[in-house]
Amino acid sequence: MISGLTTQDAVAEDLSLECGALIVGSGAGGATMAAELAEAGVDVVVLEEGGYHPTESFGAGTGRALRTLYRDGGGGMAIGRPSVLYAEGRCVGGSTVVNGGMSWRTPEQVLRRWAGQEGLRAIGARDLDPYFATIETRLSVGPQDPETIGRDSELFKGGAEARGWAVVPNRRNQLHCAGTNNCSSGCPTGAKRSMLVTSVPRALALGARLFADCRVDRIIRSGPGVSGVTGHFVRRGGHRGPRLIVRARAVIVAGGAVQTPALLLRSGLRSPSGQLGRNLSVHPNAVVTAFFDQDVHGWQGVHQAFQVREFLADGLLLTATNLTPPMLAGIMPAYGRELGELMADYNRIVTAGPLVSDTGTGRIRNVPGLGPQVFYQLTDRDAARVVRGVELTAEALFAAGARRVLLPFDGAPQVRDPHELRRLLARPVPKRSLQLFSIHLMGTARMSEDPRRGVTGSFGDFHGVPGLIVTDASIFPGPVGINPMETVIALAMRNARRLIERRDSYRL
Amino acid sequence: MVCPPEVRAGHRADRVLREFGLMLGALPPAARKALATALAVLDQGARLYPPSRGRRFARLDDRVASAYVGALLARRDPAGEVVRRLKSVVVTCYYELPEVQREIGYDPAPYIAAVSRRRLGSYGPQIRAGEAAVTAPADGEKP
Repeated sequence: MISGLTTQDAVAEDLSLECGALIVGSGAGGATMAAELAEAGVDVVVLEEGGYHPTESFGAGTGRALRTLYRDGGGGMAIGRPSVLYAEGRCVGGSTVVNGGMSWRTPEQVLRRWAGQEGLRAIGARDLDPYFATIETRLSVGPQDPETIGRDSELFKGGAEARGWAVVPNRRNQLHCAGTNNCSSGCPTGAKRSMLVTSVPRALALGARLFADCRVDRIIRSGPGVSGVTGHFVRRGGHRGPRLIVRARAVIVAGGAVQTPALLLRSGLRSPSGQLGRNLSVHPNAVVTAFFDQDVHGWQGVHQAFQVREFLADGLLLTATNLTPPMLAGIMPAYGRELGELMADYNRIVTAGPLVSDTGTGRIRNVPGLGPQVFYQLTDRDAARVVRGVELTAEALFAAGARRVLLPFDGAPQVRDPHELRRLLARPVPKRSLQLFSIHLMGTARMSEDPRRGVTGSFGDFHGVPGLIVTDASIFPGPVGINPMETVIALAMRNARRLIERRDSYRL
Repeated sequence: MVCPPEVRAGHRADRVLREFGLMLGALPPAARKALATALAVLDQGARLYPPSRGRRFARLDDRVASAYVGALLARRDPAGEVVRRLKSVVVTCYYELPEVQREIGYDPAPYIAAVSRRRLGSYGPQIRAGEAAVTAPADGEKP
C-alpha cells in the first residue's frame, strides 16, 4: 500500500483526526488542491468515497469498471423530458480515472463572460495561462502519437474535412498514450495522466493523508463557519463501517456538481442567493451509430483523436468516440434478434456525436430515502441544437462512406443517405424522443462576487461561511462549452494559491 | 427476451443473470428496490396484455413475450422509460460475456498487451522521466 493511503480494510474501529485542510474528493479539483497545499507544508487530509484501484487492476471489462470506478454503476439519471443519463467517477482520482483525457484551456470568451456576468476577479486568460502552462507540463498534455490514432477517428476526420469543416487534433493529458481505447474503464498503462497517477501520488509524497472508501455524511458547523466533517467507511458490498470524525481549520469540498451541493445541503448550509444546487449544466451528448462496408475496428486506437470545431460558436463540438460492445448494445434502439444482427457488425461501426453547450438548467435535491436526485430540463433551443448536431455528425459520417446510420431519437428509422436524413429531419423531432447522456456536470455552486447571485466567491469561498471552500465544476458560472477538466484543475490551483497566501487567517 | 437468441446457448442466460445481479449490487439500496419492483410489475403486468391470456411474463411463449416486450419498449411514458433502462442493463450484461465479444470480433486483451509493449519499446526513457517528475519538486514552474 502507498504511504499515506488508508483503505477501509485497514480500519477496524472509529477514527478521530485533526488536520489543517480537509478535502472531500480526490478528483481533478480535490487532488490538485491536496498536492498544492501539501507542497506548501499544510497538513492535508483527503477523504474519498470510492475505492483505491491502481493502474495494474485496470482491464477491458466494462462491467467491472462500471461497478468499481463509477457511482451507482454509471447509471445516474437526470430526470426530465427527456431524461439525461449521466456518469460520475467514484474512486481515488475521481472522474479523471474514467474520462476521455481531453485537456483544453478554458476559451477566452467563456472566461470573459464569467468575469463580466459575475464580477469575478483574477479569472482572465492572462490570470489563468500560467496555471494552464503548469498543468500541461505536469500532465503531459498534447496531441496523440500518430501510430495510436484509431480508424474511426480518421474516418470521422476525413468526413468532416470533406465537408470543409475545421478539425483539430485533440489535446489529451497522456504520456505517450498507447491507444488501448480503454479510457472509460481505467487506463491499463497509466499513460493517461489522471489524478490517480499524478496529483494523488504527488500529494501523498508531500505528506498528505488520503482515506479511501470513506463517505462524508455531514460538514460540522461551528458558529458561522465550519470545523470539520463526520463520515463513515464503506465496507465491501456497501455496508456501513467505522465512523470517522475529522476536525479541520479549512474544509474544501470537491465532490463534483452533484455530490458537492448534496453534501452542503444535507449539512444544513444555505446560500443567501438561494442558488445552491441550482443552475446545473450538463453538456448534453448524443450518439450517432454509423455502419461502414469496410472494417473499422474502432476499438483499436485512441478515441476522440480529433474534434470538429467548425460549430463551436453555435455551441456544438463534434467528435468520434468508440464504445465497447456492452456500452454500444446498451444504447442500441433494438432488442432480441435485431440487436444481435446490428451488433454482428460491431467492427464496421463508427460512433460519433455532438456535445452541446447548454442553456437549460437543472437542480440537485436531496430526496429522503433516495439521496441526491438530479432534475434537468432541456430547453427547446438546446433540443434544436442537439438535432442540428446529430444532423451534422451524420452528414460527416456519410461523407466518410457510411452506408446507414442510426440516430439517437426514439423510434427513428435507419437512414441510408443524406437525402433521407434531410427528409427525416425536415419534420420536427419531439424533444422527449432525444436519447441524451452527460459526463460533464457543472454550475451548482456557482461563483459570483455578488452573494445574491452566487454561492461562492471568485476563489471558491462559500459566501457567509468562513473556512468553507468549493473547488470543482460546481463553481463554474455556466457551461464551459468544451471538456472541463483543465478548467477545474486550473481553478483549483488558483484557489489553492489564494488559500496559501491567506494561510494565517485560516491558521494553516 | 431482450438479448439475441444466442443467449440460450450454453449457460449464457445464467451468466447474464449473474452479471445483472452484480450490476444491481452497484446501485444504491433505493434504486435496487425500485428495480426489483419494476421487474415484478413487468412480470405481473403481462397479465393485462391481451395476447398473454392472463399469464405472467415468465410463463409466456417466446412469440408473445417478445411482442409484450416490444410493446413496452415502444411506450413513450415513464413505464416505457423504465423498461428501456432495464433492457439496456440486461443487454449490457450479455455483451460483457467474453465469448459473445469474441463472436463479434472484439478481443481487446491481446491488443492492449501488444500496444502497451510498443509504447514501452518506443518511448521507454521519456515515460520513465515523465513518471519520475510526478513527485519531483516544483521549483521554478509555479505561476
